[in-house]
Amino acid sequence: MVELQGTLVLLILKTLARGPNHGFGIALHIQGASDGLLRVEEGSLYPALHRLERDKLVKAEWRVTGNKRRARYYKLTPAGRKVLAKAEDSWESMTKGVGRVMRFA
Amino acid sequence: MKRDEDFREEIESHVEMRAELNRAAGIPEDQARESARRQFGNATAIREEMRRVHVNTFVESLIQDLHYAARGFLRQPLFTLTAIFAAALGIGSTTAVFSVVDRILFRSLPFAQDDRLVSVGMMAPLDSNEFLLPDAYFDWRKHQTPFQSITSLVAGVADCDLTQTNPLRLGCAQVESNFLATLGVSPVAGRSFSAQEDVPNGPRVALLAYGVWQSRFGGDPNMPGKLVLIDGQPVTILGVLPSNFEMPTLAHADLLFPEALDETRDRAGRVLRVFARLKPGVTMEQARARMQPLFEQALQYVPRQFRKEVHLRMRSLRDRQVQDARTASWVLLGAVGAVLLIACANIANLLLARAFNRRKEMAVRAALGAARGRLIRQTLTETLLLGVLGGLAGCALAWVLLRMFVGLAPEGIPRLEQAALDARVMLFALAGSIASGLLFGIAPAFQNPKGESLHTSRTAGARRGQLREWLCAAQIAISLVLLSSAGTLLRSLWKIESVPLGLEAEHVITAEFVLSRQGYSEEGRQIRFFDSLEARLSKIPGATASIISDSLPPSGSTRGRLLASMQVEGQPPFDKGTGGLIMWRYVTPGYFATLGIPMVRGRAFTEGDRAPGASSMILSQTFAERLFPNGDAIGKRIKTSEWATVVGVAADVKNLGPMLASEPEYYILRRHVPDATSQMQEPPLGWRQAKVAIRTSVNPKVMAGWIQREFAALDPALPVSIGSMQRRVGRLVDRPRFNALLLTLFAGMGVLLAAVGLYGVMAFLVGQRTQEIGVRMALGATPGVITKLVLSRAAGWTLAGMLVGLVGSLFATRAIQSMLFDVSARDPWTFMVVLPVLLLIALSAASIPMLRAARVDPMTALRHE
Repeated sequence: MVELQGTLVLLILKTLARGPNHGFGIALHIQGASDGLLRVEEGSLYPALHRLERDKLVKAEWRVTGNKRRARYYKLTPAGRKVLAKAEDSWESMTKGVGRVMRFA
Repeated sequence: MKRDEDFREEIESHVEMRAELNRAAGIPEDQARESARRQFGNATAIREEMRRVHVNTFVESLIQDLHYAARGFLRQPLFTLTAIFAAALGIGSTTAVFSVVDRILFRSLPFAQDDRLVSVGMMAPLDSNEFLLPDAYFDWRKHQTPFQSITSLVAGVADCDLTQTNPLRLGCAQVESNFLATLGVSPVAGRSFSAQEDVPNGPRVALLAYGVWQSRFGGDPNMPGKLVLIDGQPVTILGVLPSNFEMPTLAHADLLFPEALDETRDRAGRVLRVFARLKPGVTMEQARARMQPLFEQALQYVPRQFRKEVHLRMRSLRDRQVQDARTASWVLLGAVGAVLLIACANIANLLLARAFNRRKEMAVRAALGAARGRLIRQTLTETLLLGVLGGLAGCALAWVLLRMFVGLAPEGIPRLEQAALDARVMLFALAGSIASGLLFGIAPAFQNPKGESLHTSRTAGARRGQLREWLCAAQIAISLVLLSSAGTLLRSLWKIESVPLGLEAEHVITAEFVLSRQGYSEEGRQIRFFDSLEARLSKIPGATASIISDSLPPSGSTRGRLLASMQVEGQPPFDKGTGGLIMWRYVTPGYFATLGIPMVRGRAFTEGDRAPGASSMILSQTFAERLFPNGDAIGKRIKTSEWATVVGVAADVKNLGPMLASEPEYYILRRHVPDATSQMQEPPLGWRQAKVAIRTSVNPKVMAGWIQREFAALDPALPVSIGSMQRRVGRLVDRPRFNALLLTLFAGMGVLLAAVGLYGVMAFLVGQRTQEIGVRMALGATPGVITKLVLSRAAGWTLAGMLVGLVGSLFATRAIQSMLFDVSARDPWTFMVVLPVLLLIALSAASIPMLRAARVDPMTALRHE
């Protein structure tokens, strides 16, 4: 069982579930999708990506972008997909739980 | 590194994309890049962190494991030291023995494709190795089909002298021109001699051994083509042999001369050793079958009476070199393998006990999320660390043991002087350490908690307890095999040593020498030298008796004469076969008194027997009974090289060692004048080689000095080696003594380890059951009952181990049967001693914890947990 370090991993995996992307694209997507609420630090993004790669949850390869630029693309592996599914579940129950507690208090 | 390049490029690509976005937003070109870079932050630090993600997987966790293991070991120094000690004993003794037997059994010989080389020839009772006479060799060389190439050398290496400014005695061998080519050896400098140079009266050329080239000629690169003086004759050195060169016979040779066989004249007279290289695809059996017809044809050259006793022999070069050391090598290797197994079982047991005590810790780690694989790896890391530490200590032990082997070893163990802890042996030790680390690590590693829970269950150890007892039983079984093998060898040794040799070896000092060819080629000079030596020896103070002989007992290297070539007055000539070889010695009168050989009948030689015209001989008892079954040998006349009268019969001497029957033997008297015997000079040494024996009660060291002085007065340049008769006699049993000693040493190690292991397990069991024992005692059990309770268990597996060991021993002693003398492989005496001894040792090892159990104070025990 791979432990998810914070929510960043969950966000990365979720972003990649839409299709392969490079680090810059992932950061851009998270920022855009959250309407600018979440800003991903490059200093955490890249080590996190490489940790996921090491744990074989994502696969990386060099590809050429639409702008004819070489970039390192990350892609979910089947294992990564499974972890994502589990993490989404627990995230949901946690936010639900935390939400109730917050409301209760 | 490629990965670093990737990191850099990935960051660069990120920054570029951001810059592009900035440019699209209208920020000027130079600022767009600058701002993108600033926004990314500390690229170097991020790159460093990315690198760490990939690196820390294997190496870092290994370091972590090692650190953890080392801390654990330091916390339990007694456990650690015991385990390392056991591993060191096992690995050390295995490594030491391997370094010796590797040269004998496994390591390739310094010849190209050495497994294709064979030694071939005729086997006859005269010689323990196959040989060929030139006439047969010429035929074989011409007509043989199974060999790619066949070559020969003259048997024996002759002494020769490098007669230059600083004379040096060398060993000179004679080999055929294709000798090096057949062996697959090329000279390191210069060339070998050609077939044109290997002819009778050819040029005087030779090949020089690497050692002499270095020590004497300073490795002179221009050596080929130079002249050296050998026995006063100029010889051209054609080439230098490689440093690892050795004669296929393992004889020591410094110079190789052409054999110069003459097909027209050299039909007999020279004894050849023949070596050949099998054609590709031809097996030894096929080659033997193809040589058989040639051998049968060659029998025509063999005197008729010999033929029945001669057969064809072909064996691999390794077999010829190893001779009879093969069995002993395997036995020793087996013995140390057994010690290593005991050590492994021992350490496995220690680890199991330790794992039992650490089961809580492991369970906690498992509960905290450590994967099962990770825990197994942790345990294996610990055992491998133990194995390697044990291996290091073992190498130190191996060094000491090897020194000891070399010091104690008898002559004739092939290549012992080359044995060393070199890279190959160290690699073996490393492999052994890792293998044993894995072996003793398996059981503890896979007994890690899977379903085991955090609460301390008192029954959790039961299954493992059984494994421990089996390991103990196995150690006892293997120890018994070792002990009974060693015991059988010791008993055989004892039998060997109690055989009377037929002479009194105490207080006899010997001296050996070979007169140089140059100074003593003429017969008159030799006789004058021996006469003055005899006179000088007789005047040495403290010498009760002294003699000169061509050979001294016990030794197989005596002169021999075929019985069929002798003639006994009044008896028909011997016509049944050769009659075998009769040993004889050429001695001065005091021979029997000096060596303490009693006369059975008649008298010993006297000075009067040396008078001109007189001619007398003495027979050994066996020989006298063979020639004269009616016991009337005295006064009979026998013709050897000349007619002589039998004046006495001497008791038999066990010349070939206590293991073999006495061979028939006779003695011819040395006289002051040239006689038929002294004129019959035999190559290669003739009568220049002689031995002296002196019976004295003077301190041997002092006497040795006096003897040296007498020799120096006669010929200051003559090297003399002084020895003692006792040493010569002792040498006969050196081999069996060495084998028995080593096996006893290893058996001792095995038993010691098994005893330590038994003690450890008993102590553990008692510790584990302290509470139960306390309850029993509180309920009224006496210490006797408790002792019985614990003892019955220990006795159970000790006996089980001994039973298995007994069966194993019967197989083991059968395997060493060929090394035994006058002892059966199922020697009841050995087992009658070995079994109780082992039982006693086992029970004493078990009794210490047992006594502790019986003294348990019920109250303390009940408060135990």
